[in-house]
Amino acid sequence: MRVLGQIATLVRKDLLLEWRGRTRGLSVVLFGIVTLLLFSFAVGPDSAALRAGAAGFLVLALLLSSTLALSEGFRLEHENHALEGLLLAPVEPMALYYGKALSNTLFLILLAPILTPVAVILYAVDAGPATLVQVIGLWALAAAGLSAPGTLFAAMTSRLRSQDVLLPLLLFPLVVPVLLGSVKAIALVLGGDPMGQLSSWTVLLGAFDVIYWTLSGVLFTHVVEEGV
Amino acid sequence: MSSSAIRCESLGRRFGRRWVLAHVDLEVARGDSLLLAGSNGSGKTTLLRVLAGLSRPSAGTVRILGRDPHSERLACRRLLSMVSHRSYLYDGLTAFETLRVWARLGGVAYADGELENLLDEVALTPHRDLPVGGFSSGMRKRLTLLRTRIEKPDVIFLDEPLAALDSGGKKLVERWIAREVEHGTTVVVASHAIPRMSRICRRALLLEEGQIAWEGSAADLPSQMEEPA
Repeated sequence: MRVLGQIATLVRKDLLLEWRGRTRGLSVVLFGIVTLLLFSFAVGPDSAALRAGAAGFLVLALLLSSTLALSEGFRLEHENHALEGLLLAPVEPMALYYGKALSNTLFLILLAPILTPVAVILYAVDAGPATLVQVIGLWALAAAGLSAPGTLFAAMTSRLRSQDVLLPLLLFPLVVPVLLGSVKAIALVLGGDPMGQLSSWTVLLGAFDVIYWTLSGVLFTHVVEEGV
Repeated sequence: MSSSAIRCESLGRRFGRRWVLAHVDLEVARGDSLLLAGSNGSGKTTLLRVLAGLSRPSAGTVRILGRDPHSERLACRRLLSMVSHRSYLYDGLTAFETLRVWARLGGVAYADGELENLLDEVALTPHRDLPVGGFSSGMRKRLTLLRTRIEKPDVIFLDEPLAALDSGGKKLVERWIAREVEHGTTVVVASHAIPRMSRICRRALLLEEGQIAWEGSAADLPSQMEEPA
Protein backbone atom coordinates (compact mmCIF):
# COMPACT_ATOMS: atom_id res chain seq x y z
CA MET A 1 0.00 0.00 0.00
CA ARG A 2 2.89 2.31 0.88
CA VAL A 3 4.42 1.72 -2.58
CA LEU A 4 1.08 2.53 -4.24
CA GLY A 5 0.91 5.79 -2.26
CA GLN A 6 4.44 6.67 -3.36
CA ILE A 7 3.59 5.89 -7.00
CA ALA A 8 0.49 8.10 -6.76
CA THR A 9 2.57 10.96 -5.25
CA LEU A 10 5.18 10.67 -8.01
CA VAL A 11 2.56 10.58 -10.77
CA ARG A 12 0.78 13.60 -9.31
CA LYS A 13 4.09 15.45 -9.06
CA ASP A 14 5.00 14.63 -12.68
CA LEU A 15 1.59 15.65 -14.05
CA LEU A 16 1.72 18.90 -12.09
CA LEU A 17 5.18 19.68 -13.46
CA GLU A 18 3.97 18.73 -16.94
CA TRP A 19 1.03 21.10 -16.60
CA ARG A 20 3.22 23.94 -15.31
CA GLY A 21 5.73 23.43 -18.16
CA ARG A 22 3.09 23.35 -20.87
CA THR A 23 5.50 24.45 -23.62
CA ARG A 24 7.15 21.02 -23.43
CA GLY A 25 3.85 19.22 -23.88
CA LEU A 26 2.87 21.57 -26.65
CA SER A 27 6.10 20.91 -28.53
CA VAL A 28 5.46 17.15 -28.38
CA VAL A 29 1.90 17.62 -29.69
CA LEU A 30 3.11 19.87 -32.51
CA PHE A 31 5.85 17.39 -33.35
CA GLY A 32 3.20 14.64 -33.66
CA ILE A 33 1.00 16.79 -35.90
CA VAL A 34 3.95 17.75 -38.12
CA THR A 35 4.91 14.07 -38.42
CA LEU A 36 1.37 13.17 -39.54
CA LEU A 37 1.47 16.03 -42.06
CA LEU A 38 4.82 14.88 -43.45
CA PHE A 39 3.51 11.35 -44.01
CA SER A 40 0.56 12.75 -45.95
CA PHE A 41 2.89 14.91 -48.08
CA ALA A 42 5.17 11.93 -48.70
CA VAL A 43 2.30 9.74 -49.96
CA GLY A 44 0.73 12.54 -52.01
CA PRO A 45 -2.92 13.01 -52.98
CA ASP A 46 -3.63 9.26 -53.38
CA SER A 47 -6.43 8.98 -50.81
CA ALA A 48 -6.63 5.18 -51.04
CA ALA A 49 -2.92 4.87 -50.19
CA LEU A 50 -3.32 7.39 -47.36
CA ARG A 51 -6.25 5.43 -45.91
CA ALA A 52 -4.34 2.16 -46.22
CA GLY A 53 -1.33 3.58 -44.38
CA ALA A 54 -3.28 5.62 -41.78
CA ALA A 55 -2.79 3.16 -38.91
CA GLY A 56 0.95 2.90 -39.55
CA PHE A 57 1.37 6.66 -39.82
CA LEU A 58 -0.56 7.22 -36.60
CA VAL A 59 1.50 4.70 -34.62
CA LEU A 60 4.76 6.04 -36.06
CA ALA A 61 3.75 9.55 -35.03
CA LEU A 62 3.17 8.19 -31.51
CA LEU A 63 6.52 6.39 -31.52
CA LEU A 64 8.47 9.45 -32.68
CA SER A 65 6.68 11.76 -30.26
CA SER A 66 7.28 9.30 -27.43
CA THR A 67 11.08 9.52 -27.73
CA LEU A 68 10.84 13.29 -27.41
CA ALA A 69 8.50 13.06 -24.42
CA LEU A 70 10.52 10.33 -22.65
CA SER A 71 13.88 12.05 -22.86
CA GLU A 72 12.36 15.37 -21.77
CA GLY A 73 10.68 13.66 -18.81
CA PHE A 74 14.01 12.54 -17.38
CA ARG A 75 15.74 15.84 -18.14
CA LEU A 76 13.38 17.31 -15.56
CA GLU A 77 14.65 14.82 -12.97
CA HIS A 78 18.22 15.96 -13.49
CA GLU A 79 17.52 19.67 -12.99
CA ASN A 80 18.92 20.43 -9.53
CA HIS A 81 19.70 16.67 -9.27
CA ALA A 82 16.10 16.03 -8.21
CA LEU A 83 16.41 12.30 -8.97
CA GLU A 84 19.22 12.07 -6.43
CA GLY A 85 16.89 13.73 -3.93
CA LEU A 86 14.31 11.04 -4.62
CA LEU A 87 16.93 8.33 -4.15
CA LEU A 88 17.73 9.79 -0.73
CA ALA A 89 14.10 9.43 0.31
CA PRO A 90 12.78 6.12 1.64
CA VAL A 91 11.22 5.34 -1.74
CA GLU A 92 11.27 1.90 -3.35
CA PRO A 93 13.10 2.05 -6.72
CA MET A 94 10.08 0.15 -8.03
CA ALA A 95 7.85 3.08 -7.03
CA LEU A 96 10.20 5.48 -8.80
CA TYR A 97 9.98 3.42 -11.98
CA TYR A 98 6.25 2.80 -12.01
CA GLY A 99 5.55 6.42 -11.06
CA LYS A 100 7.59 7.68 -13.98
CA ALA A 101 6.37 5.04 -16.45
CA LEU A 102 2.76 5.71 -15.50
CA SER A 103 3.06 9.47 -15.93
CA ASN A 104 4.81 8.94 -19.29
CA THR A 105 1.99 6.62 -20.38
CA LEU A 106 -0.69 9.09 -19.30
CA PHE A 107 1.09 11.87 -21.16
CA LEU A 108 1.26 9.77 -24.37
CA ILE A 109 -2.37 8.73 -23.99
CA LEU A 110 -3.33 12.41 -23.85
CA LEU A 111 -1.86 12.82 -27.34
CA ALA A 112 -4.46 10.41 -28.76
CA PRO A 113 -7.55 12.68 -28.65
CA ILE A 114 -5.53 15.31 -30.54
CA LEU A 115 -3.57 13.26 -33.07
CA THR A 116 -6.29 10.72 -33.94
CA PRO A 117 -8.81 13.30 -35.29
CA VAL A 118 -5.95 15.02 -37.17
CA ALA A 119 -5.05 11.68 -38.80
CA VAL A 120 -8.71 10.95 -39.62
CA ILE A 121 -8.99 14.30 -41.44
CA LEU A 122 -5.59 14.19 -43.15
CA TYR A 123 -5.87 10.61 -44.38
CA ALA A 124 -9.59 10.84 -45.30
CA VAL A 125 -10.50 7.94 -43.03
CA ASP A 126 -14.19 7.22 -42.55
CA ALA A 127 -14.41 6.93 -38.75
CA GLY A 128 -17.33 7.55 -36.42
CA PRO A 129 -17.13 8.29 -32.69
CA ALA A 130 -17.20 4.57 -31.77
CA THR A 131 -14.25 3.88 -34.09
CA LEU A 132 -12.33 6.82 -32.61
CA VAL A 133 -12.89 5.50 -29.09
CA GLN A 134 -11.58 2.08 -30.16
CA VAL A 135 -8.51 3.66 -31.76
CA ILE A 136 -7.82 5.67 -28.61
CA GLY A 137 -8.11 2.47 -26.54
CA LEU A 138 -5.57 0.71 -28.74
CA TRP A 139 -3.39 3.83 -28.68
CA ALA A 140 -3.40 3.57 -24.86
CA LEU A 141 -2.14 -0.01 -25.06
CA ALA A 142 0.56 1.05 -27.54
CA ALA A 143 1.53 4.00 -25.32
CA ALA A 144 1.90 1.64 -22.35
CA GLY A 145 4.07 -0.69 -24.43
CA LEU A 146 6.32 2.17 -25.50
CA SER A 147 6.53 3.87 -22.09
CA ALA A 148 7.60 0.80 -20.13
CA PRO A 149 10.94 0.14 -21.90
CA GLY A 150 11.16 3.81 -22.89
CA THR A 151 11.23 4.92 -19.25
CA LEU A 152 13.92 2.36 -18.47
CA PHE A 153 16.12 3.42 -21.39
CA ALA A 154 15.49 7.11 -20.74
CA ALA A 155 16.74 6.55 -17.17
CA MET A 156 19.81 4.70 -18.47
CA THR A 157 20.71 7.36 -21.02
CA SER A 158 19.53 10.47 -19.17
CA ARG A 159 23.00 11.49 -18.00
CA LEU A 160 24.61 10.96 -21.40
CA ARG A 161 25.21 13.77 -23.82
CA SER A 162 24.22 11.44 -26.68
CA GLN A 163 20.84 10.61 -25.13
CA ASP A 164 18.87 11.94 -28.10
CA VAL A 165 20.60 9.43 -30.39
CA LEU A 166 20.92 6.51 -27.98
CA LEU A 167 17.33 6.45 -26.74
CA PRO A 168 15.72 5.70 -30.14
CA LEU A 169 18.55 3.29 -31.02
CA LEU A 170 17.82 1.23 -27.90
CA LEU A 171 14.06 1.65 -27.89
CA PHE A 172 12.99 1.17 -31.51
CA PRO A 173 14.23 -2.43 -32.04
CA LEU A 174 12.70 -3.53 -28.73
CA VAL A 175 9.25 -2.14 -29.41
CA VAL A 176 8.78 -3.75 -32.84
CA PRO A 177 6.17 -6.19 -31.43
CA VAL A 178 4.20 -3.28 -29.97
CA LEU A 179 4.51 -1.41 -33.24
CA LEU A 180 3.29 -4.40 -35.27
CA GLY A 181 0.47 -5.25 -32.89
CA SER A 182 -0.84 -1.71 -32.65
CA VAL A 183 -0.60 -0.99 -36.40
CA LYS A 184 -2.44 -4.22 -37.23
CA ALA A 185 -5.11 -3.68 -34.58
CA ILE A 186 -5.74 -0.02 -35.51
CA ALA A 187 -5.79 -0.91 -39.23
CA LEU A 188 -8.48 -3.52 -38.52
CA VAL A 189 -10.53 -0.96 -36.57
CA LEU A 190 -10.24 1.64 -39.33
CA GLY A 191 -10.55 -0.66 -42.35
CA GLY A 192 -12.91 -3.35 -41.06
CA ASP A 193 -12.28 -6.75 -39.54
CA PRO A 194 -14.00 -9.39 -41.69
CA MET A 195 -11.86 -12.26 -40.34
CA GLY A 196 -12.27 -11.30 -36.65
CA GLN A 197 -8.54 -10.84 -36.05
CA LEU A 198 -8.78 -7.73 -33.89
CA SER A 199 -9.01 -9.55 -30.58
CA SER A 200 -5.86 -11.63 -31.30
CA TRP A 201 -3.79 -8.53 -32.07
CA THR A 202 -5.19 -6.74 -29.03
CA VAL A 203 -4.30 -9.68 -26.80
CA LEU A 204 -0.80 -9.77 -28.31
CA LEU A 205 -0.41 -6.06 -27.62
CA GLY A 206 -1.64 -6.49 -24.06
CA ALA A 207 0.69 -9.46 -23.49
CA PHE A 208 3.72 -7.44 -24.59
CA ASP A 209 2.63 -4.61 -22.29
CA VAL A 210 2.57 -7.00 -19.33
CA ILE A 211 6.01 -8.41 -20.23
CA TYR A 212 7.57 -4.98 -20.68
CA TRP A 213 6.07 -3.50 -17.52
CA THR A 214 7.22 -6.46 -15.43
CA LEU A 215 10.74 -6.79 -16.83
CA SER A 216 11.47 -3.06 -16.93
CA GLY A 217 10.31 -2.66 -13.32
CA VAL A 218 12.77 -5.34 -12.19
CA LEU A 219 15.65 -3.98 -14.29
CA PHE A 220 15.12 -0.38 -13.21
CA THR A 221 16.23 -1.18 -9.65
CA HIS A 222 19.64 -2.21 -11.01
CA VAL A 223 19.85 0.82 -13.31
CA VAL A 224 19.21 3.18 -10.41
CA GLU A 225 21.53 1.43 -7.97
CA GLU A 226 24.39 1.05 -10.44
CA GLY A 227 23.95 4.65 -11.50
CA VAL A 228 24.91 6.05 -8.09
CA MET B 1 21.28 -1.85 17.39
CA SER B 2 24.83 -0.53 16.88
CA SER B 3 26.30 1.91 19.42
CA SER B 4 28.01 3.83 16.59
CA ALA B 5 25.93 6.01 14.33
CA ILE B 6 28.58 5.88 11.60
CA ARG B 7 31.36 3.43 11.23
CA CYS B 8 33.63 2.98 8.25
CA GLU B 9 36.73 0.90 7.84
CA SER B 10 39.46 1.27 5.20
CA LEU B 11 37.01 3.25 3.12
CA GLY B 12 38.12 4.18 -0.37
CA ARG B 13 36.50 5.69 -3.45
CA ARG B 14 38.12 5.71 -6.83
CA PHE B 15 37.15 7.62 -9.99
CA GLY B 16 38.95 5.91 -12.85
CA ARG B 17 42.51 5.41 -11.62
CA ARG B 18 42.41 8.26 -9.14
CA TRP B 19 41.64 7.51 -5.51
CA VAL B 20 39.74 10.49 -4.11
CA LEU B 21 39.31 8.77 -0.74
CA ALA B 22 41.69 6.21 0.71
CA HIS B 23 42.07 4.31 3.97
CA VAL B 24 39.42 6.30 5.81
CA ASP B 25 38.64 4.78 9.21
CA LEU B 26 35.94 6.66 11.01
CA GLU B 27 33.60 6.14 13.90
CA VAL B 28 30.97 8.62 15.01
CA ALA B 29 28.99 7.87 18.15
CA ARG B 30 25.23 8.34 18.31
CA GLY B 31 24.33 11.93 18.98
CA ASP B 32 27.82 13.17 18.22
CA SER B 33 28.63 15.97 15.78
CA LEU B 34 31.54 15.93 13.37
CA LEU B 35 32.96 18.73 11.26
CA LEU B 36 34.69 17.65 8.06
CA ALA B 37 37.29 20.16 6.97
CA GLY B 38 39.76 20.28 4.13
CA SER B 39 40.59 22.22 1.02
CA ASN B 40 38.60 21.91 -2.21
CA GLY B 41 39.08 18.44 -3.71
CA SER B 42 40.19 16.91 -0.42
CA GLY B 43 37.31 14.40 -0.56
CA LYS B 44 34.75 15.88 1.85
CA THR B 45 31.77 15.73 -0.52
CA THR B 46 32.78 12.28 -1.78
CA LEU B 47 32.98 11.01 1.80
CA LEU B 48 29.52 12.39 2.58
CA ARG B 49 28.08 10.87 -0.60
CA VAL B 50 29.56 7.46 0.18
CA LEU B 51 28.27 7.63 3.76
CA ALA B 52 24.81 8.65 2.53
CA GLY B 53 24.73 5.74 0.07
CA LEU B 54 24.73 7.95 -3.02
CA SER B 55 28.08 6.66 -4.15
CA ARG B 56 29.42 3.13 -3.79
CA PRO B 57 32.72 2.71 -1.98
CA SER B 58 35.48 1.20 -4.12
CA ALA B 59 37.08 -0.28 -1.00
CA GLY B 60 36.19 -0.83 2.63
CA THR B 61 32.90 -0.87 4.47
CA VAL B 62 30.33 1.66 5.68
CA ARG B 63 27.70 1.15 8.35
CA ILE B 64 25.05 3.63 9.36
CA LEU B 65 23.55 2.56 12.69
CA GLY B 66 24.80 -0.91 11.89
CA ARG B 67 23.32 -1.03 8.41
CA ASP B 68 24.97 -1.01 5.00
CA PRO B 69 23.59 1.98 3.05
CA HIS B 70 23.81 0.02 -0.22
CA SER B 71 22.60 -3.49 0.53
CA GLU B 72 20.07 -2.19 3.07
CA ARG B 73 19.24 0.91 1.09
CA LEU B 74 15.63 1.40 2.10
CA ALA B 75 16.21 0.82 5.81
CA CYS B 76 19.08 3.32 5.74
CA ARG B 77 16.99 5.92 3.94
CA ARG B 78 14.70 6.04 6.95
CA LEU B 79 17.68 6.68 9.21
CA LEU B 80 19.54 9.41 7.36
CA SER B 81 19.00 12.63 5.51
CA MET B 82 21.35 14.75 3.46
CA VAL B 83 21.41 18.45 2.69
CA SER B 84 23.73 19.02 -0.20
CA HIS B 85 24.80 22.04 -2.22
CA ARG B 86 22.54 20.39 -4.80
CA SER B 87 19.05 21.54 -3.92
CA TYR B 88 17.15 18.43 -5.17
CA LEU B 89 14.18 20.74 -5.83
CA TYR B 90 11.75 20.77 -8.74
CA ASP B 91 11.64 24.31 -10.07
CA GLY B 92 8.01 23.92 -11.16
CA LEU B 93 6.66 23.00 -7.71
CA THR B 94 5.80 25.57 -5.06
CA ALA B 95 7.46 25.52 -1.63
CA PHE B 96 4.34 24.03 -0.07
CA GLU B 97 3.93 21.37 -2.77
CA THR B 98 7.58 20.42 -2.32
CA LEU B 99 7.07 19.81 1.40
CA ARG B 100 3.94 17.80 0.69
CA VAL B 101 5.79 15.58 -1.81
CA TRP B 102 8.61 14.96 0.71
CA ALA B 103 6.14 14.14 3.48
CA ARG B 104 4.15 11.73 1.31
CA LEU B 105 7.23 9.99 -0.06
CA GLY B 106 8.60 9.65 3.45
CA GLY B 107 5.32 8.12 4.56
CA VAL B 108 4.87 10.79 7.23
CA ALA B 109 1.39 12.16 7.82
CA TYR B 110 1.48 15.94 8.04
CA ALA B 111 -1.53 18.22 8.15
CA ASP B 112 -1.36 21.30 5.93
CA GLY B 113 -1.13 23.48 9.04
CA GLU B 114 1.95 21.61 10.26
CA LEU B 115 3.67 22.09 6.90
CA GLU B 116 2.82 25.78 7.04
CA ASN B 117 4.42 25.98 10.49
CA LEU B 118 7.56 24.42 9.07
CA LEU B 119 7.67 27.04 6.32
CA ASP B 120 7.25 29.68 8.99
CA GLU B 121 10.32 28.35 10.84
CA VAL B 122 12.53 29.22 7.87
CA ALA B 123 10.71 32.46 7.04
CA LEU B 124 9.26 31.13 3.80
CA THR B 125 5.56 31.59 4.59
CA PRO B 126 5.17 34.60 2.24
CA HIS B 127 6.58 32.44 -0.57
CA ARG B 128 4.43 29.40 0.22
CA ASP B 129 2.68 29.26 -3.17
CA LEU B 130 5.50 30.45 -5.40
CA PRO B 131 7.40 28.05 -7.65
CA VAL B 132 10.85 27.37 -6.19
CA GLY B 133 12.36 28.05 -9.63
CA GLY B 134 12.14 31.74 -8.71
CA PHE B 135 13.79 31.32 -5.28
CA SER B 136 17.23 32.69 -4.46
CA SER B 137 19.89 30.13 -3.48
CA GLY B 138 19.48 31.12 0.17
CA MET B 139 15.73 30.47 0.05
CA ARG B 140 16.36 27.15 -1.64
CA LYS B 141 18.81 26.16 1.05
CA ARG B 142 16.33 27.04 3.81
CA LEU B 143 13.60 25.03 2.08
CA THR B 144 15.95 22.08 1.60
CA LEU B 145 16.71 22.07 5.34
CA LEU B 146 13.04 21.42 6.04
CA ARG B 147 13.47 18.01 4.53
CA THR B 148 15.42 16.97 7.61
CA ARG B 149 12.57 18.21 9.81
CA ILE B 150 10.03 16.20 7.84
CA GLU B 151 12.02 12.99 7.67
CA LYS B 152 13.24 13.24 11.30
CA PRO B 153 16.35 11.14 10.67
CA ASP B 154 18.85 9.84 13.23
CA VAL B 155 21.80 10.95 11.12
CA ILE B 156 22.11 14.15 9.07
CA PHE B 157 24.81 14.89 6.52
CA LEU B 158 25.26 18.52 5.56
CA ASP B 159 27.47 19.57 2.68
CA GLU B 160 28.47 23.25 2.81
CA PRO B 161 25.26 24.30 4.60
CA LEU B 162 26.35 27.95 4.85
CA ALA B 163 27.34 28.41 1.22
CA ALA B 164 25.40 31.10 -0.70
CA LEU B 165 23.70 32.44 2.42
CA ASP B 166 23.61 36.02 3.70
CA SER B 167 24.44 36.70 7.35
CA GLY B 168 20.82 36.25 8.45
CA GLY B 169 20.58 32.97 6.58
CA LYS B 170 23.85 31.77 8.07
CA LYS B 171 22.62 32.49 11.60
CA LEU B 172 19.36 30.67 10.91
CA VAL B 173 21.15 27.58 9.58
CA GLU B 174 23.65 27.63 12.45
CA ARG B 175 20.80 27.72 14.95
CA TRP B 176 19.17 24.90 13.05
CA ILE B 177 22.24 22.68 13.19
CA ALA B 178 22.85 23.52 16.85
CA ARG B 179 19.29 22.51 17.68
CA GLU B 180 19.66 19.18 15.86
CA VAL B 181 22.89 18.52 17.79
CA GLU B 182 21.15 19.44 21.05
CA HIS B 183 18.30 17.04 20.24
CA GLY B 184 20.78 14.19 19.93
CA THR B 185 20.78 13.81 16.16
CA THR B 186 24.10 12.66 14.78
CA VAL B 187 25.33 15.45 12.52
CA VAL B 188 28.21 15.41 10.04
CA VAL B 189 28.97 18.76 8.41
CA ALA B 190 31.41 19.37 5.58
CA SER B 191 32.25 23.05 5.56
CA HIS B 192 34.83 25.70 4.88
CA ALA B 193 33.27 27.92 7.55
CA ILE B 194 35.59 26.54 10.22
CA PRO B 195 35.21 29.15 13.00
CA ARG B 196 31.41 29.09 12.82
CA MET B 197 31.04 25.33 12.56
CA SER B 198 33.68 24.47 15.13
CA ARG B 199 31.52 26.29 17.67
CA ILE B 200 28.64 23.91 16.93
CA CYS B 201 30.36 20.58 16.30
CA ARG B 202 32.16 18.61 19.00
CA ARG B 203 34.68 16.73 16.88
CA ALA B 204 36.52 17.55 13.69
CA LEU B 205 38.34 15.70 10.99
CA LEU B 206 40.73 17.23 8.50
CA LEU B 207 40.97 15.59 5.10
CA GLU B 208 43.92 16.05 2.77
CA GLU B 209 44.00 14.39 -0.63
CA GLY B 210 41.38 11.89 0.41
CA GLN B 211 43.06 10.80 3.61
CA ILE B 212 42.56 11.72 7.24
CA ALA B 213 45.31 14.20 8.08
CA TRP B 214 44.12 15.12 11.57
CA GLU B 215 41.33 14.20 13.94
CA GLY B 216 40.40 15.77 17.25
CA SER B 217 38.25 18.27 19.05
CA ALA B 218 36.52 20.81 16.79
CA ALA B 219 37.71 23.59 19.07
CA ASP B 220 41.29 22.72 18.16
CA LEU B 221 40.67 22.63 14.42
CA PRO B 222 41.19 26.34 13.60
CA SER B 223 44.74 26.13 14.91
CA GLN B 224 45.37 23.13 12.66
CA MET B 225 44.60 24.93 9.45
CA GLU B 226 44.77 28.32 7.89
CA GLU B 227 41.58 30.34 7.96
CA PRO B 228 39.97 30.62 4.51
CA ALA B 229 40.06 34.14 3.14
